[in-house]
Amino acid sequence: MKRPSEKEKSMRIIHTLKVKNDLGLHTRPATVIVRILQSFRSAVYFTYQRETVNARSIMSILMLAVGKNCSLTITVEGEDAESVLKELVSAFETKFGEKK
Amino acid sequence: MTEIVLKGISISKGIAIGFPFYLAPQDEMVPEQAILSMEVESEIARYRSALFSSRLELEELQKTLLHEGSADGVAILDAHLEMLKDPLMTTEMEQKIRERQRNTESVFQKTISEYQNRFISLKDSFFQERVKDIIDVSKRILGHLSPHRKIDLQKLPPGSILFVVELIPSMVAEADPGQVSGIVTQTGGISSHAAIIARAKGIPYIAGIEIEKHRGIACQGMILDGDQGLVIINPTEETQEKYRQMILKAEDFHKVLAGQYASKAETIDGFSIELFGNVESVEDIDLLRKQGAAGIGLFRSEYLFLAKKSFPTEEEQYIAYRKIVEKIPKKPVIIRVFDIGGDKKGDLPASMGWKTPTFFAHESNPVLGCRAIRFLLQYEELFEKQLRALFRASPFGNIQILLPMVSDIAEIRATRRLIAKIRNNLLEEKIPIKKQIPIGCMIEVPSSAIMCDAVCQEVDFLSIGTNDLIQYVLAADRSNPTVSSLYSSAHPSILRLLHHVVSVAERRKKELILCGEMAADAKFIPLLLGLGIRKFSMAARHIPEVKHFIRNIRLMDACSIAEQAFRILSCEDLQKYLDHLSMRQYS
Repeated sequence: MKRPSEKEKSMRIIHTLKVKNDLGLHTRPATVIVRILQSFRSAVYFTYQRETVNARSIMSILMLAVGKNCSLTITVEGEDAESVLKELVSAFETKFGEKK
Repeated sequence: MTEIVLKGISISKGIAIGFPFYLAPQDEMVPEQAILSMEVESEIARYRSALFSSRLELEELQKTLLHEGSADGVAILDAHLEMLKDPLMTTEMEQKIRERQRNTESVFQKTISEYQNRFISLKDSFFQERVKDIIDVSKRILGHLSPHRKIDLQKLPPGSILFVVELIPSMVAEADPGQVSGIVTQTGGISSHAAIIARAKGIPYIAGIEIEKHRGIACQGMILDGDQGLVIINPTEETQEKYRQMILKAEDFHKVLAGQYASKAETIDGFSIELFGNVESVEDIDLLRKQGAAGIGLFRSEYLFLAKKSFPTEEEQYIAYRKIVEKIPKKPVIIRVFDIGGDKKGDLPASMGWKTPTFFAHESNPVLGCRAIRFLLQYEELFEKQLRALFRASPFGNIQILLPMVSDIAEIRATRRLIAKIRNNLLEEKIPIKKQIPIGCMIEVPSSAIMCDAVCQEVDFLSIGTNDLIQYVLAADRSNPTVSSLYSSAHPSILRLLHHVVSVAERRKKELILCGEMAADAKFIPLLLGLGIRKFSMAARHIPEVKHFIRNIRLMDACSIAEQAFRILSCEDLQKYLDHLSMRQYS
């Protein structure tokens, strides 16, 4: 067992990316996102147009109503922050498995 | 008026004559009510349980969609399932119930309408549309929160025949046979908990009838024939007369039986047989005493709390167990520890008050899953509470503890260790307990039946639970209509397995009792007596009838019947043999 160092514990990453899929963060992508996060421990927030929500809440993501080409800021805090961000970015890049 | 006869599935026998009463799911807002701060936790538990039931329902629905190849449907339900886990639906909702101290439904509905408004105010019409999913999910949760809240069954006109799409166990539990003379549902199988309770209460029950379709039919009267699974709308004078005669005949027979309440269950040649009662609530005990039962053969402790809204504390359990044993002093009271988990979790609203909403993991095969003793050993804290309560109640009567679903003696040993610890703790706390409390093992998993020699060395008595044993031995679910014909108590394999268990118990000098529906079926009584079973436990209402049959048979004849039956190799032939016997005997 490797215990996380203090530095790792307090890791905080802020990253801004663009939504690429046609329909934006609708029901299916939101489901994908919350499911990805379920295997991680970090606290994750989405900020869009000055509103910040808990990214583990599918309803909150939907209420943000983020459309195509919008810029979304992701804040990840916690020991596994780097892996979380990596997974999320890859999901956004691959348009959550959607064709368009 | 023409007579219409609908054929459904017979769930609980008996005949009812009355008028239909339709229970429709309702849509309106639930009025706001203040709750006491002491009720907050139980309201939250109720909410969690509604979330949990919604989850089960969605998973079930998803399975069907998957089967039909509807990938989109499956994906939508994935989103719905995630909504049930959404912090807004879980922690925040609970927080709001705590802060506002109002009944869960009103807090829930208000919060949901706030979310709805936020969606409606979105500029993007595509995202506005997403609100529909939230409304859908919230309706589902509300349905589970108060499936029958608005109808007080006690207020139904006497002789009502309840028509409802789906029946939940607590609804039957609350029904008064004086008011509800019969039940008709669309869904539901013979081994559902609602069905078991209906049978215990003697309320005729027929499933498999399309409720909405028959709602509009003008009805001037109705007969429910629970024996044949018939719903007869607007019966002709002739039909009515036929059923009136049948009821009269049954009543006469019951008078004969009632005359024997005080007499012993003894065969013609003088062997006495002990008849115990299966009990689900404290009220059942009065009836048992009247019928001269030898004690309680099976107290299903999980039912005690079915109608309750939170998981029972040790104190609540102690009071309940004490009340039971004090009501039937000196006679044995076999209390089966909680048989929950597996397929029995949907019925347990209370359990959700325990720790986390994901208390029960999803199981793709719950009947073979984590239930009963497996579950209790996993959540030892819960098991400990129940055992402590049982031990504390022990000085007030003759409590015996029964362990369900044991499949290996390791489970008995683990329980024994826990018991030893509890006993020591109670002694240290100077709480009086009885010295000897018999511990018994349910024989309902084939491995325990096969290994019953080993089991006997670990316990004080055995209790054969035929319902589960048959289902596991024959690998047939009796609530599944396509295979229910394979589920038969009259299978030679069952007979041989019972014979094995009975002879081992005899050799090891362990007490043995048989519970399960086989015990209540008069057809099997000679066979079971012949096998050597001397103690039976059944729903109280069956006792007089079974006693009557015992009083009219010779044990020596029963033995030759069993010997004869042992030579029969197919289920069909054994069935025929038993049918032939009962015809000869009772005609």
